[in-house]
Amino acid sequence: MNHEEQLIRYAANQLSENERAEFEQHLANCADCQTDLLLWKSVADEIHASNATVPAPVHLADSALEAIHAPSKLTRAFKSMTQLLRMQLLLIHNELWVGSAALMFIFLAMALLVARVEVLHFFVPIVAAGTVTLIYGSEHDPAAELTFATPISPWKILLARLTLVSAYNVFLALCATVGLLLILPPQALGELILGWLAPMTFLSALALLLSLWIGTSNALFISYTLWAAQYLALTSVGEWFAFLAPWLESYRQFWNDPALLFIFGFALVLFALWSAGREQVQWRRTIAL
Amino acid sequence: MPTADLALPWKSQETQAAMTQPVDDLDLIRRLQAGDDDAVRDLYAQYGQRLYAYALRLTNDPATAEDITQNTLVTAWRTARTFRGEGRLIAWLLGIVHHTAMKAIRNSTNYLDDVAEETISEDQPSPEEQAQVKDERRWVRQGIQSLSSEHRAVLELVFYQELSLNEAAQVLNIPVGTVKSRLSYARNHLRGVLARTEER
Repeated sequence: MNHEEQLIRYAANQLSENERAEFEQHLANCADCQTDLLLWKSVADEIHASNATVPAPVHLADSALEAIHAPSKLTRAFKSMTQLLRMQLLLIHNELWVGSAALMFIFLAMALLVARVEVLHFFVPIVAAGTVTLIYGSEHDPAAELTFATPISPWKILLARLTLVSAYNVFLALCATVGLLLILPPQALGELILGWLAPMTFLSALALLLSLWIGTSNALFISYTLWAAQYLALTSVGEWFAFLAPWLESYRQFWNDPALLFIFGFALVLFALWSAGREQVQWRRTIAL
Repeated sequence: MPTADLALPWKSQETQAAMTQPVDDLDLIRRLQAGDDDAVRDLYAQYGQRLYAYALRLTNDPATAEDITQNTLVTAWRTARTFRGEGRLIAWLLGIVHHTAMKAIRNSTNYLDDVAEETISEDQPSPEEQAQVKDERRWVRQGIQSLSSEHRAVLELVFYQELSLNEAAQVLNIPVGTVKSRLSYARNHLRGVLARTEER
């Protein structure tokens, strides 16, 4: 160990008794070490003195304990989320819940009567898309003005309502699908669900976005037309439109491709959430006028 | 040591008695691991002043130092199980302070230390003060404050916290050679400050 290091340890009182005695012998004959020792001693004194002038605050242990026992971020987020959902549940029209349940029941009955799964596949996305166009905006929200005045961002409100209504729609559709098991074997359940879930996601997302932009009725008209277009039978229109056949075939394939529908559906939802904030700005301008 | 917790009405008599004696590190860490709230209070009574002093030395800002010390206690509570007793408890705690402080410094856009350092360099002694500048305490203080926070950290760990060079290296998460070179640098810097002061 060199003298420089030993000197530091000596000044910091870190040498053993033997080391200390040995080093003091060297120190007695080394002017450089003596100068440096004075310097290190001054440093040590100054650090001790300056630390003594700043006592640690008395409350830190208790505030640390408060932080330790405070609910975690996740718990807090979960609490505020359920609170938001409960609040928004009250603001959604009651007719929407009853209406879509009744429609779903009628379509299930139809499907069972004609013994065809396609009936449900056709109508589930229509019911779902119809309901999501009714959840947001001054057109449907009796308390829109209040909604926009709350500190909660509009996209969160929209997301909360979309979650509630979509969850309800999925629940209804699942019930209807289980009802279909009266005429179908249980093994078909997975395929049946996938048959309506992906188109329902995409069509609802599209209808929601359009409803934010151009109003509910326009949104319903456009999205229902797009949905129905895949069922066009070109042969009935005549030979003149035969050139459209390959396009229509691709269009049908799109509606039958769950992966694509989910991806585009989620992208549209994100876009809609972004639009919700913009709508609020427009609404504020309207109020100001 | 802070005198903070001397008369806390909700404490049991046993705890009060325990706090008047130095608390055994091993016992402290066991109680932390067991989730005993009083262990946090005892830990703070035992080491709070040292942890706060180090945090303040690194940041030069009392409010930030408080946050860092509080977060250190929270981290110590949450990670007590990872303490294997390989080194001293104080070195482990100072390591947490250091890590927390570095994170706080990285996250803050206007790092207070720079502000402090600028203030010091601008703070040339006034004519009245010049006479006092030769006062030993004053030049040492100025010299230490004009060092970067990493050099101040080494001085603090060795001369106040009484850590060995190896322990200081562990706290700072650097090789022990770097600790030595920082000490050499600090010594040369302080010699320079002293020389300039004596010239005046």
